[in-house]
Amino acid sequence: MATDAPIAVRRREDLKPAAADRLSSWLRNYKPLPGVPDELFDRTGRPRDYWLSFLGEFAEYPQAEFENRFSLATRHIRDTGVTYRIYGEENERSWPLSPMPLILSQGEWAQIAEGVEQRANLIEALLQDFYGEGALVAEGALPAAALTGSADFVRAMRGVKPPGGRFLQLYAADLGRGPDGRWWVLDDRTQAPSGAGYALESRLVLSRAYPNLYNAMNVQRLAPFFDGLRKGLAATAERDDPRICLLTPGPFSETYFEQAHLARYLGFLLVEGDDLVVRDGRVYVRTIAGLKRADVILRRVDADFIDPLELNSASHLGVPGLLEAIRSGGVAVLNIPGSGVLESKALLGFLPKLCRRLLGEELKMPNVATWWCGQPMERALVERNLENLAIAPAFNVPGTLAAMAKPRLVASMSAAEKAEFLARLNDRPGDYVGQEVVRLSTTPVLRDGRLEPAPFVLRVYAAMTPDGMKVMPGGFCRTSDHPDVRAISMGEDARTNDVWVISDRPVERVTLMASTEDVKVRRILGHLPSRAADNLFWLGRYIERAEATLRLVRSLCTSLMDSESATHSAGETLAILQKLLIEWGALDEKALGRRAIDAGRDTLHDDKAYGSVVSLVRSARRTAASMRERLSADFWTLLINLEASLVEGAHELLSEAEVLQQVENALQILAALSGLAQENMNRVAGWRFLDMGRRIERGVNTCRFTRALAHEEATIDDLDLLLDLADSQITYRARYLVGLALAPVRDMVVLDPFNTRSLAFQVETLKQHLDVLPALQDDGMLEEPDRVLLNLAAQVETETAARINTEKMIAFELALMRLSDAIGERFFLRGANAVPTAKLAGLA
Amino acid sequence: MIYNLRHRTTYTYESAVSFARCVLRLTPQSSPAQTVLESSLAVTPRPSNVIERTGAFGEHTLTAVIEEPHLALVIEARSRVDVHAPSLQLTTPSPSWDEVRKRSVRNADLGPDSPAAYLYPTRRTPIVAEITEYARPSFAEGRPIMEAAGELMTRMYADFTYDSKATTVSTLAQEAFKARRGVCQDFAHIMISGLKGLGLPAAYVSGYLRTIPPPGQARLEGADATHAWTAVWCGEGLGWVGFDPTNGILAQNDHIVLARGRDYSDVAPIDGIILAPGEQTLKVEVDVIPEDELVAAMRAGGMRSPVGLGTLL
Repeated sequence: MATDAPIAVRRREDLKPAAADRLSSWLRNYKPLPGVPDELFDRTGRPRDYWLSFLGEFAEYPQAEFENRFSLATRHIRDTGVTYRIYGEENERSWPLSPMPLILSQGEWAQIAEGVEQRANLIEALLQDFYGEGALVAEGALPAAALTGSADFVRAMRGVKPPGGRFLQLYAADLGRGPDGRWWVLDDRTQAPSGAGYALESRLVLSRAYPNLYNAMNVQRLAPFFDGLRKGLAATAERDDPRICLLTPGPFSETYFEQAHLARYLGFLLVEGDDLVVRDGRVYVRTIAGLKRADVILRRVDADFIDPLELNSASHLGVPGLLEAIRSGGVAVLNIPGSGVLESKALLGFLPKLCRRLLGEELKMPNVATWWCGQPMERALVERNLENLAIAPAFNVPGTLAAMAKPRLVASMSAAEKAEFLARLNDRPGDYVGQEVVRLSTTPVLRDGRLEPAPFVLRVYAAMTPDGMKVMPGGFCRTSDHPDVRAISMGEDARTNDVWVISDRPVERVTLMASTEDVKVRRILGHLPSRAADNLFWLGRYIERAEATLRLVRSLCTSLMDSESATHSAGETLAILQKLLIEWGALDEKALGRRAIDAGRDTLHDDKAYGSVVSLVRSARRTAASMRERLSADFWTLLINLEASLVEGAHELLSEAEVLQQVENALQILAALSGLAQENMNRVAGWRFLDMGRRIERGVNTCRFTRALAHEEATIDDLDLLLDLADSQITYRARYLVGLALAPVRDMVVLDPFNTRSLAFQVETLKQHLDVLPALQDDGMLEEPDRVLLNLAAQVETETAARINTEKMIAFELALMRLSDAIGERFFLRGANAVPTAKLAGLA
Repeated sequence: MIYNLRHRTTYTYESAVSFARCVLRLTPQSSPAQTVLESSLAVTPRPSNVIERTGAFGEHTLTAVIEEPHLALVIEARSRVDVHAPSLQLTTPSPSWDEVRKRSVRNADLGPDSPAAYLYPTRRTPIVAEITEYARPSFAEGRPIMEAAGELMTRMYADFTYDSKATTVSTLAQEAFKARRGVCQDFAHIMISGLKGLGLPAAYVSGYLRTIPPPGQARLEGADATHAWTAVWCGEGLGWVGFDPTNGILAQNDHIVLARGRDYSDVAPIDGIILAPGEQTLKVEVDVIPEDELVAAMRAGGMRSPVGLGTLL
């Protein structure tokens, strides 16, 4: 078995016969495309040594085993939420992971790293000039119009002196191997490069799927790169222990999960625009303890959207006043808004000359030959060679303003299209570039057990660290499922591959563990952002509501089964239950009077009803998804399982017993969730908000159930049902041997402070939570949530079961609603410190 | 010609606003065509923090933060500006438009006066084939830019109807073009769009226009309005020349420039965000008073001096 092999790569002749056969068959059937460089076979048509070593080891895994290993590792990583994939939603990640890495030798890698490092330094120097002195344009090295066409040439940043003095933190280059075997830059990513988080994920999956192979191959580790990235960001801050935020466009962003993953891995606070506020030239995070300074912001929001006050005023993703704060030096935002200007294809043709001028050296890695049509000679050249070129927009601009939607091959245009293009080129030549047609090189991938060449693009990252620009030894590789090697066709049908840079020697094992002297011991994990508190609170409410609804369904089905054998008036109780469900939005009004089994099934599965169990669980999952970095993997898995258990077999529930079975399953998972929250969540503020949400919801539900089932004319069935819903049957039977009576049931469900389901218990628990949470007011006065809660607590504590009536239950319920609002006002964004950004309107 | 300008904006809020951050572009700048003699900007309630700077397109910008709860926000800009634009006609000799196009792409200036800053489409001035084709007939090969742009302006003046109800502050150029109706802002955007479609540098100018009251009637206080027109770069010699498609005239001594940018968004007099739970209403009063007229009116006792303006005399 391969797994028992020592950590060293076998020679080919040492392979087991089955593996040797498999390897021979792979190699025999592998057909690189004519004239296209390939990673497995070198230019002489011989397989490269390190690929042979890898494939040999890989062949040692029997077919079934390696597939099993890979899919287990993939599922494990995804289920435990490392990738934050939302269950059942496919669109958050466009590319599935491939089981085979892209492998590069150390020597090969050295060239790539050198080229990318130089390019990152060049880009930093260019940004320094564009947003500083502007000498390159003034002295004629670059026409002004080659910059001004980009929506990312942010004039408001001209003359800025950013803290730390740097403009670029993270840079990425998309690379391919040219026909001569050299590496070429296809595209620069300078705005806010994505994909580094996916590189981490791919690495995690592959290193878990084939740990021995991974170790035997001496694959270089990624952790030191991310450590350097973090230190580089920290170095730009004024303070020693800076608060670093990753500014995300939010859960609707295509790469949100990657961003959340990165934030958690790097220990950054994941924030959205609404979480941040500018005061006195500095940036602060809104937390439940008030405003806390944000020293450094790693930006994933495009520049255009980053400050609605100075840039795109329609943006809801940004922070009003952020550019002013950057100008006044109160915050470091990296990459600086405006860094995206270097993604303009118009600039590509100038880079060799600019590199000589700024760095005094030749560009080490060429980019795709590109001619900007804003220059008369270049335009003439493009027009002469039109048939052999691709045409692309010269600048990155918002979609509606783009000169063309995407690059096109002129050869593939119809005569009419070509004529139209030429007319537009004549009107506005500066909007276009001509580019030589890129043919991607190939790397082996496994398809149906066969080894095949697939075109790929390799994204390589460079980060500024305290020791200078460093390149990640690895990357984010996309392989295409289509054999078409023209880069232009690289579309959605791609997979990601891990990138292994192999060392000649065993690599040192490193993780992101900080050295002891760097870490100050503390017990509070920083202040909880208001938005996270808001989400946790609502997660708690959704979970509790789902539980209560499940209990209602259970009662619905059991009381029906009982009624067939008993004589009591279960029919009326059934009607009460259905009415409760209808009021709750769990059931359609038309359901009244229908069979209990149908009502039960609908309550569980009707995804059009906002209050059905499946809708509530989905709401809980969605809320949880937007703060994945704060929940444990187990918590997330349970939530996913809960939804899965409800969705599975939804249409096959024929009998009450089957419905009951599903309800019991779901309740068990919920019990596990509660236990997890109770036992495994750190008792800092986050847990308190989750629990407060649950307590308020439970209190409200208890009030409602009591009103419906323990009113003056309540029957024995009603009281029995109430004890069921309040999960208090056993306690009641143990305490009162006489049987059911109104006053003792009311006391147990509403007033008994020792019953964990009673209203009194919820109120007491809420008091404990509020006592611990930070106060904003320093004048010694009570804050509104305390005021509401203390009042309610006094009433509940002094009440007696005999005097309880419907009005009082309504009053308790309303007080809980007011408490929920007051907590929202005080701790969450819509409270006193919120920004519903209304724009001062009108043409003045 | 010396003008006294008063531009007062009043926001009234349904419920108290606890925080406001505004970017104000309300102070005119001196240029070869005008000299700002005096200017002041008053914000009530008093801002807790004010930052003055030169904005991205050379405009004077003031950022004000108000942290005191308020029910009304009043922003009043006053200035005294001497306008002395060089005398130009559409027949004034100018380089051909194709030459202007070439030179603006070659331009080696990244600053706000550079034609390179005004060559590319923006959200409010996109390249729209219909508008480009509308503009094209005026631009025969080799035609001087003044003449060509002038003809486009004159055609627009004839073809478009001024209609303050047809559009809003957020109407896009292509919408107003389709309707052939709108206000100064729409016409300026359409003309810019057409010029850019042909590869020419064109800018949006916000400012004021002297209005002449109907004969025999006194000027109504606060009844003037802000105005907007198009500036076209006519080569290094002539530089930026203002074309006013709303009135079919060149912008000269009746036009006072407040700011120039790529479109309305760059030069909006007031941009802001507030913490406002309720509704807001907006009132704008503008007075553009030629100083000689003001003196004459005051001598004749026929007109009350707007508050404070008397002290400028």
